[in-house]
Amino acid sequence: MTVLDRLRLDGRVALITGSGRGLGRAMALAFADAGADVVCSARTQAEIEAVADEVRAKGRRAAAVQADVTDSAAVERMVERSLAELGRIDILVHNAGGRTAGDGRPLHTISEADWLAGIDANLTSTVSCIRAVIPQMLELGHGKILTTASGLGLRGNRDLNMYTAAKAGVINLTRSLALSYGRQNIQINTMALGLFPQTEAQATRWGGGRYIPVGRFGTTWEIGPVAVFLCSPAADGINGAVIVQDGGGLAGGVTPFGWAPRIPLPGILA
Amino acid sequence: MSDQPSLPATAGGVPAPLQPERPFDLRGRVALVTGTARPLGGAIAVALAEAGADVALAGLTGSADEHFQVNSAANQVWSLGRRNLALQVDLTDPVAVEAAVQQVEDEWRRLDLLVNAQDLLFAMPFGETSLEEWNATLAANLTSVALTCQAAGRVMLRAGYGRIINVASVAGDRGVMNMAAYAAAKSGVLALTRALATEWARTGVTVNTVQVGWYEDQAGIGDDPEHRKTLTKILPARALVTNDEVTGAVVMLAADSGYFTGQIIAVDGAATARI
Repeated sequence: MTVLDRLRLDGRVALITGSGRGLGRAMALAFADAGADVVCSARTQAEIEAVADEVRAKGRRAAAVQADVTDSAAVERMVERSLAELGRIDILVHNAGGRTAGDGRPLHTISEADWLAGIDANLTSTVSCIRAVIPQMLELGHGKILTTASGLGLRGNRDLNMYTAAKAGVINLTRSLALSYGRQNIQINTMALGLFPQTEAQATRWGGGRYIPVGRFGTTWEIGPVAVFLCSPAADGINGAVIVQDGGGLAGGVTPFGWAPRIPLPGILA
Repeated sequence: MSDQPSLPATAGGVPAPLQPERPFDLRGRVALVTGTARPLGGAIAVALAEAGADVALAGLTGSADEHFQVNSAANQVWSLGRRNLALQVDLTDPVAVEAAVQQVEDEWRRLDLLVNAQDLLFAMPFGETSLEEWNATLAANLTSVALTCQAAGRVMLRAGYGRIINVASVAGDRGVMNMAAYAAAKSGVLALTRALATEWARTGVTVNTVQVGWYEDQAGIGDDPEHRKTLTKILPARALVTNDEVTGAVVMLAADSGYFTGQIIAVDGAATARI
């Protein structure tokens, strides 16, 4: 078996939440290209139907299963329907989530409801989805789970209260679950993406990406190969890892990008 | 960002996914892999060849014994239908490293990928460690990486494209008894990775590290029954890392579109996820 064979997902079924558009859709299509059948899930039925059709057009099986991942009963039903439609779930990519109402405002101005909604959307939804798929992964004897963190789960940002706390929670939850289920051959990792704008407005608000070390934003499709790798047998040794794809943002960042001083050694070699 | 110094825009612009069905294709790429006298380095060279790259192979010390092993890995590359080049080079000698990189460029007119897979394990109580042992450990595990990054990096900077992948160790991230010199060297590789990734961020050259846990084919670890027994008992995965678990990460990074840089991928069966 060559390394390219181990980087395939043939015969696997992947459940991808938040896959009606954007990064989730990009992963659904990349997984289909890598040989996986895909359950597309999100809140908007029309969008996941369209992505499921794109997956089928690549010759794979697909299902569109509508769900709101902040409702744990709905998550249980999502997993039941996924199993009914495609028979198994080898891979879970929990990609749903994002900024919620009140994020970006000072903590003393937000309500408890705002706080809980932000934690629910990003952290509790991760718990619900993983809890729901684990039993049948234990039955299968293998599984790959990819959660979605963010560079903002590793570093702070002014007034981003729920989002940074929830994403930091996702990161350490991922590590603990990796240790809990690693010996049952379930690998659980998280991806922390940099800025991958999904609308022109976002790209403008984020300043065009000039301050990112590589000088640009991430392009939506670029998440595909990394996610395929992490969910493939080639990544069987990777567990509890935080995989950062951010154009060098977290590698640098202590000084403004571009500050490149020349300071010779004093006396000795100057 | 008014305080931003003037900088070149990103090199090469936004890439397009030309072959979404073959995201890890390395055909047409030229790789230099070091540390190929050992099984992990050899497996990485073979994996890059399987993905389509032509591969130049170096060892660590340039000794005759080592060159025999490098040649054997080079033969595996050749048997996959890829071009190979076995280099006999002492990676701690800057002139020799420069000459080796020059030889690859002379032969194949390009150098796209560099993988530093050399590893020299040294473990002794720090109080008993001599300056010679310290220097040799740093030279083999850190200075060699800096020298290949500099020599290959110059070629890549001229071309506006490069993928550098260093192989480091969990010992560079966590304290391990009796491994001060080895840990300092491996930790240096992580720092070098972040620094070069930032410095070269707008040149089209990415720099990443695969941080490997204790592995099966690691000299001094996998071949020692006592160490194997202890490690498989205490590691979360109850197993040492295999070569096949490492090569996929290297190939993924080698084929990456350029947004993945300055990062450390831990291939360690959750070892560093735990306290």
